[in-house]
Amino acid sequence: MIAGPLLLLILPLVMAGVVYVLLRWTSVSALLAVGTALALGIAVITLPLDQPVHVWGGRQIAMGEMVTFFGRELVLEQADRIAMAFLFLTSAGIFFLAWRVEPHSLLPPMGLGLLSLLSGALLIRPLIYAALLIEIAAALSVFALQAEGGGASRGGLRYLSFTTLALPGLLVTHWLLERYVLTPNDTRLLSTSATLLALSFALLLGVVPFHTWVPAVVSDSVPLAGTFVLTIGNGAVWFLLLDFLETYPWIRNHPRFGPLILTAGLAMVLAGGLLAPSQRRLGPLVGYAALVDSGAALVALGMNSRLGLTLAVLSLLVRPFGLLLMSAGLSGLRACSGGNDDFDALRGLGWQAPWSTAALIFGGLSVAGLPVSAGFAWRWALCRALAPSRPGYALLLLLAGVGVMIGVWRGLSALLVRPRSLENRSVVPLGRPEGRLVAVVVAMAILACVGVGLFPQVLTPLAVRLAEAYTFLSP
Amino acid sequence: MPTLVDLLARVSFLAAMPATVGIFVTAGLLVVSRDWRLNVTALILQYFFVVLLLTRLIRLEVAAVKGLTGWMICMVFYLTERRASLFERLEAANENARPSRWRRWIISARASFCLLAGLLVSVAAYTAALRIPLPEVPTDITLACYLLAGLGLLLIGLSEAPVQVGLGLLTFLSGFDLFYVALEPSLAVAGLLGAVSFLIALATAYSRAAQIATGGEVRKL
Repeated sequence: MIAGPLLLLILPLVMAGVVYVLLRWTSVSALLAVGTALALGIAVITLPLDQPVHVWGGRQIAMGEMVTFFGRELVLEQADRIAMAFLFLTSAGIFFLAWRVEPHSLLPPMGLGLLSLLSGALLIRPLIYAALLIEIAAALSVFALQAEGGGASRGGLRYLSFTTLALPGLLVTHWLLERYVLTPNDTRLLSTSATLLALSFALLLGVVPFHTWVPAVVSDSVPLAGTFVLTIGNGAVWFLLLDFLETYPWIRNHPRFGPLILTAGLAMVLAGGLLAPSQRRLGPLVGYAALVDSGAALVALGMNSRLGLTLAVLSLLVRPFGLLLMSAGLSGLRACSGGNDDFDALRGLGWQAPWSTAALIFGGLSVAGLPVSAGFAWRWALCRALAPSRPGYALLLLLAGVGVMIGVWRGLSALLVRPRSLENRSVVPLGRPEGRLVAVVVAMAILACVGVGLFPQVLTPLAVRLAEAYTFLSP
Repeated sequence: MPTLVDLLARVSFLAAMPATVGIFVTAGLLVVSRDWRLNVTALILQYFFVVLLLTRLIRLEVAAVKGLTGWMICMVFYLTERRASLFERLEAANENARPSRWRRWIISARASFCLLAGLLVSVAAYTAALRIPLPEVPTDITLACYLLAGLGLLLIGLSEAPVQVGLGLLTFLSGFDLFYVALEPSLAVAGLLGAVSFLIALATAYSRAAQIATGGEVRKL
C-alpha cells in the first residue's frame, strides 16, 4: 500500500529529476510537469481519505494514512486537501503557460521540487518543520527565478533574505509555546510568541515595510517564476498561517489580532495602490498589483469573521488567474523588446505582440478587482462586506484597484503607440513574434479568467469548504 | 592521527570569550572587506569559532558535523570566487587596465562607512547581550549570537551583490543556530538547518555565476 502523503512528497521530487533531464526537449519536459501536477491535484481532491483505493497493478493508495518520516508525522487532513489541490492545479497552469511563454526556464523542474517541499510543509507536524521546509523552498526558488542569460536575480535573493529573517521567529515561537504549556502562569511567553509570529508572517507575506521583495521578485526575475512564488509559495505561507491560527486559537482571541491584520492589509493596499500607477516598468507594476491583492486578502482576514476568512481563501484561489496572465503578458512583451520592460522600450509593441498585450490587460483587470474578471468576484464581495461598518476601507480598496488600472493603462498607452513612419519608428522587432500556439495558450488563460469572473460559483463552494475546515472563527 | 573531534577537544580552552572576540573580528571583516580571499578566510575562521562555542551546548560530534557543513560552504564560495576572479582578470587584461595594488592599502569611503556601521552594530549587540539575555545560553554566547545576527543583517542591508548577501545570510543563520541548538537539540532540526545553509550557499553561487556570465558589474554598496 502506498501512503498518500509519501506519494505527494516523493512523486513530484522524482518527476523534477526526470523533467530536468528532459529539459532539452522543452515541450516534453513542460507537458510532463503539467501532467504530474495535474494528476496529483486531481488525485488529492478526488481520492477518498478514509479508505484505500486500488490503482495500477493491484496496488493501493491510502490518501488519509498517517506516515512517520524521520520521526515526524505526515498526515493529509481535510483542511489541507483543497489547499494541496490548489497548489498542484495552479502549478499545472503555470507550467502550461511556461511551456509557450518561458520555454527555456528552469521553472518546470524546480517548480516540481518546490511543490514537494511545500506539500511537505502543509503535511508535516509539528509546524516547526513546516517553517524549515518553506525556507528550503525559498532557497530553491532562487534557481527558478534566475533568468537564462540574465544578470543575478535581485528579487530571488531578496525573497530568500526575507524568508531567512522570518525563520527564527517561527522556530522560537514553537519553543516558547511548549514552555507555556509547562508554565501557564507566565503570560509573557504568549505575548513574545505573538510578537514573533506577527513579525515572521509580516516578513513572509511582504507586509509594508517588508514588501521590497514582492515587486523585485517579478521585475528582476523570470516573471512566471515570480508568479509561482507569489501564488504557490505565498499560498503555502497563507495556509501555514491558517494552520497556526487553528492550532493556537489564543492568537485569534488576542485583542490586537483583528486591528493588527487590518492595519497590515491596509498598509499593503495603500502602498501598492499609490506606487503601481507611478511605475515606468511593467515588472514592478505587476509586483505592486500583487501587493494590493495580498493586502486586500489580509483586510478580509482582519474582519475576524467567517465571511472574511472565506473571502481571504477565495482570494488565494482567484489570485493566480490575474497574476498568471499579467506575468505571461510581461514575459511575451519582454521577449519582443529584447528583455526590457521599460515603457519607452515597449512603445508600439502592442501591435507586434497582441496576445501578450491582451494577457496583460485581462490580468490587470483581475488583480485590480474590476468587472468581467476573476478578481472581481471576491473583491466586490469584500467591498460590500466592509461598506456598512468601514466605508473608508472599502473606498480605499476600490481606489487601490483604480491605481493598479492606471498603471496598466499607462503601459497600454505606450504599447499601443502607432509608428507614424519608418523613420521615427521606435519599434524594432528584436525578438521572435508570437506563434499560434502562444495565442492558443494565452487565449485559454484569458477565457478561464473571464469565465471565473462571470461564473464565480465555480470556485466559491471550494472556498467555503476550505474555510469551514478551519474552526478558529465563529460563524 | 588525531580526529577532528580530538582537535576540537584540544582547542576547547578557546570556547568562551576568545571565540566571541574571534567572531567579532571575523564577522567585522566580512562587513568591511570586499576581497574574496579575505572573506573566505574570515568565513572559515568564523565557522571554527562558532563550532567552538557550539561544543559547550551540544555533543562534540554534532558540533563537528556543523563545522564540516560550514567549511563545505566555504569551499563553494572559494571555487565560485576563484572562477569569477579568473574572468575578471581576463576582462582586465582585455581592457589593458593597470593593476592598482596600492589601492588595497587605502581604506575607501565605503570601507570606512562599513567599519563605522559595523562598530555601531557591535555596540548595540553588546548592550543587547547585557539587557536582553537569551534564554538557555550563557552571556558570552548571547553576545556571539547578537554579534552574528546583527553583523549578518548589516551585510544583507549594505549590499545587493550576491556573495555579500549570501555571506550575510549565512552569518545571520550561524548566530541563530548557535542560540537555537540550546533550545532544540533535535538532530532533524540540526540537519534541516544545515541543509538550509548549504542551499543558501548554492543559490548565492548560482546568482554569482549568472552575474559573471553576463559580465554584470557588482553594485557594491
